[in-house]
Amino acid sequence: MTAKIISSPAESSSGMSFMKKHLLLIVGGAAGIIVTLFVMNTLFDGSMEKMTGTTDWQNILLVNALVGACIFLFVVELKRQAIRVLLTVVVALLLGFLVTFIFNLDSAERFGAGEFRAQVVSEAEPTENDEVDLEYNKRRGGEFNKPNVVAPVSEISWTFAGRAGDTVSLLAYAKNRRSEVDLLVELRDESGAILAAATSATETQVEETFDDLVSVKDAVIEGFELPADGVYTLFSRPEEIATETVLSEALGQSRLAFEALLLGPIERVNRWGVWIQDAITLILLGMSFAIVFRAQQFSLGAEGQLYFGALVSGIIALNSPHVPGIILIPFIILASGTAGFIYGLIPGALKAYLGANELVSTLMLNFVATRFFEMVLNFQLKPPDAGYVASAKFTSNAVLPVIVDKTQVTMAVFVLAAVVFVSWLLIRRTPLGYEIRIIGSNLRFADYGGVNTKRTIMLVMAIGGIVAGLAGMHLANGIHRQLILNISFNLAFEGVVVALLARLNVLVVPFTGLLYAYLRAGAQFMERDANVSFEVVRMIQAIIILLITAEALVTFFQARQKRADIDEEGHAVAALDVADDS
Amino acid sequence: MPIIETRNIHKIYPNGVHANDDIDFAVEQGEIHALVGENGAGKSTLMKMIYGLEHATSGQIFIRDQEVQIGNPQDAIEQGIGMVHQNFMLVDSFTVAQNIILNRETKQGMQIDFQQAVADTESLSREYGLAVNPDAKIEDIPVGMRQRVEILKALYRGAEILILDEPTAVLTPSETQDLFAAIRNLVEGGKTVIFITHKLKEVIEISDRVTVMRDARKIGTVETAQTSERELARMMVGREVFMQVDRPEVARGASVLQVADLTYADSSGHQLLKQVSFNVYEREILGIAGVEGNGQTELAEVLTGLRPPTTGEAFINNEQILGRGPRSVREHQVAHIPEDRLTNGVALTSSIEDNLIIDRYYREPFTRRRLLDINSIVDNGASLIREFNIIAPNGAIPVNALSGGNMQKVVVARELSSSPKLLIAAQPTRGVDIGAIEFIHQELVDQRTQGLAILLISADLQEVMKLSDRIMVMYEGEIVGIFPNDESLTEERIGYFMLGAEVQAAEEMERFV
Repeated sequence: MTAKIISSPAESSSGMSFMKKHLLLIVGGAAGIIVTLFVMNTLFDGSMEKMTGTTDWQNILLVNALVGACIFLFVVELKRQAIRVLLTVVVALLLGFLVTFIFNLDSAERFGAGEFRAQVVSEAEPTENDEVDLEYNKRRGGEFNKPNVVAPVSEISWTFAGRAGDTVSLLAYAKNRRSEVDLLVELRDESGAILAAATSATETQVEETFDDLVSVKDAVIEGFELPADGVYTLFSRPEEIATETVLSEALGQSRLAFEALLLGPIERVNRWGVWIQDAITLILLGMSFAIVFRAQQFSLGAEGQLYFGALVSGIIALNSPHVPGIILIPFIILASGTAGFIYGLIPGALKAYLGANELVSTLMLNFVATRFFEMVLNFQLKPPDAGYVASAKFTSNAVLPVIVDKTQVTMAVFVLAAVVFVSWLLIRRTPLGYEIRIIGSNLRFADYGGVNTKRTIMLVMAIGGIVAGLAGMHLANGIHRQLILNISFNLAFEGVVVALLARLNVLVVPFTGLLYAYLRAGAQFMERDANVSFEVVRMIQAIIILLITAEALVTFFQARQKRADIDEEGHAVAALDVADDS
Repeated sequence: MPIIETRNIHKIYPNGVHANDDIDFAVEQGEIHALVGENGAGKSTLMKMIYGLEHATSGQIFIRDQEVQIGNPQDAIEQGIGMVHQNFMLVDSFTVAQNIILNRETKQGMQIDFQQAVADTESLSREYGLAVNPDAKIEDIPVGMRQRVEILKALYRGAEILILDEPTAVLTPSETQDLFAAIRNLVEGGKTVIFITHKLKEVIEISDRVTVMRDARKIGTVETAQTSERELARMMVGREVFMQVDRPEVARGASVLQVADLTYADSSGHQLLKQVSFNVYEREILGIAGVEGNGQTELAEVLTGLRPPTTGEAFINNEQILGRGPRSVREHQVAHIPEDRLTNGVALTSSIEDNLIIDRYYREPFTRRRLLDINSIVDNGASLIREFNIIAPNGAIPVNALSGGNMQKVVVARELSSSPKLLIAAQPTRGVDIGAIEFIHQELVDQRTQGLAILLISADLQEVMKLSDRIMVMYEGEIVGIFPNDESLTEERIGYFMLGAEVQAAEEMERFV
């Protein structure tokens, strides 16, 4: 039955695939250009003047063109699977939105709680009266229904004295932005009759008339003229919240939050820079993992190699204040790569010649590297007068030249482009890459064919180390410009996700790295811009990543299942899928 | 009335493969019913559904005209169905009796009554003429006996219908005869046997009726008495198959490989090869016969550089080739079709093209100026696919999209295209369908006629006898006999040597080395 499926005549199928290839190129190219234009458009609000008025706009365009190129590669390399990856991302975002929404529902209900203040504003002379609660222009605050309060207040009736003809404004407002309360306010006379009432404030009132107001949810009775002398009552309580209000409130908040997540990273150039600089680190790390995993070596040593690379480049930077950058920078790049290479060679040699499990050995070596880094930083590099554990700032000759003003987008972009190209060349176009691929597919077959598998395994782990070492250099000399504790921010393990998501394809890693960095940056801005707490942001991020990773894992397990089926029957059961998928 | 019957059974796997297409299959009470078909024809799937390991997409199963739902093997056992799998499902460290009563233990209080177990095993064994030693541990008994234990296990659970999945694949000729005798015994005792195989000779010998499957469909059910091997082969493959290989007589040439006093002991010190010496000549196929596990695998792996020998030497062109790894051996123009192609012979997830260059990727024209030459790799793939008739749309698809036969053709194509002087072919047709077997056999013989020296290792004695010019028998790591393959040599005679019942005198062996 296999034969039936796959034995279409060679000529017609090659004709088909020719067409298909072109279609892919067109789709990929279009997607790349659209994304580039979209990012540029959002960054500069679609205004040419704004763009050309920005320093280094050419470089921004160049980097965004590279982003487009990553999209192109992603489409062309993954073909139909690209749609699957995108669908997963969309589903993950929808789920994330749902979670945001649920959390916002909760916070919408909290409008009934929270702290508030009230006051009567008037130009008139205050009346002397000790019996009343309020005086003109005196603020008084309280708490509604707060948990843990012994006698919670659900409403207030504060009295104040007034004379006929006084113009008063009654304000009830939340204490601060964090505890928005939807309030109503009423003015009552001595008999308790309502003279005036309000449930909201206008934008103008919030922004111009009254400084104290926090939002339009506060309530204001503006400019009421008191009819007679006497004691009046300011009555206020949170509004009854209709379900609709809660829903629309939550929805609006969630939309806001998601706008921040989805567009936040490309709204302004400095934010865009955060995205790009994170992406560079993640892509380098993802590339390191992709290369090593390609040979089925589950080395998690990138973290340690990164620290080693950062340490070496940092030490060089600190000790050569007078070497011109044009010599120093290439030297630092080389040195950090070499450091990573050596630190990758150790577990490689242990695995190849002593059979030490690479997972265990690399995790242990990570520990050694990070602690060694901390030790050197603490006892050797930290200036004596420094208040916290960090080295001195690097001199400018040792810092990677910035290519976009006001960001930390540096020359590392070009280093990265070179790394991607060389990795591709290595894996797809060199005998060593062939050995790596074959070992990854079937180690025993490689042995049988005469491949020196021990040497190749050792080398592949060392090569992965080079790339991780460069990531360390980028962090030290590109972003932080000094050595600090926890310089990697545990990014190394996120590199695993980037590599898995790219299905270990070195040409897809740039895309997945960008995607992942975008989500990270987006989450950061979501927290900052929208009223979403840090914990919720983390949860949403985790859900998105979980789904994306699960998708990558599903593919991984399907491939294994296929192999198991084949093993069992000694025969390929599924000819169709496999042929297209790889 | 059929004892078991399937009607309109369809099985579609989640990946869309139609493994069974409208199968009506019926077995009569008390018959030996052979089920034949190539790998992937769907016979295993059908049997798994009857045994509850798989579930039909649609269709019905009847036992004694009662429709049944078989959800799992437990249900099947309750319906009196027993299955003996190709890979035995026994606990190696338990005794025979313990394995047989496993999960059906008779208990005395809290304790398992092992004496009862032994007694039950003995009586069952006597009743059906299936000789076993109840107290021996599984790991200590030969394959033939393990199989009998499996059958007894099924009988102990009350099986009326026994499904035997390729039972003879692991047996020597005499063990096969014992098994057949036991099967006849079972049938006389009223049992029904379904016998899955692709060895047509056995079908003719043992079965009452045969059902042939091909491409997920049932081709037909015939009375064995009214058919022939050739007829069955035609039904299986869908075209005329020539079971005979055209092997012209040629005079052998000079000695290509000289093996001298080769010994190999594994890490725990077991001597797996003992003082093995022989020659392989140009224009000759030297076949190694022997029950599997008597040192053939180790011999092939030592000679191809995958394992270092303990002592001894092997020469090609007067150069010692051992102990320097596979690449060094390959550079002496030795090709190797490995015993287990899925483990050693191919990288399943790599493309056909990549699989075809594992022995040569580092040389011109595949690597030029340190970079791979993709065009050469693609061309090499395309021309070998054409030449060796590998059924694949192009060379870029991964090997796991191919059928077993075509995978093996990939291996054969690579190895024969390396212009070798010596080919070590281990189990070259294992798990390969008849059409591909025919192709591979003819290819081996043609290459031998053109001058290649071939060392053929096969567990299939018929294959060895059909192809070889000389036959060497191995038993427990030793060569116990070398014979020219002429009319005087019979399967029975080799069988004696394979079981170690006979050893050739040294001077006689000397004549044929």
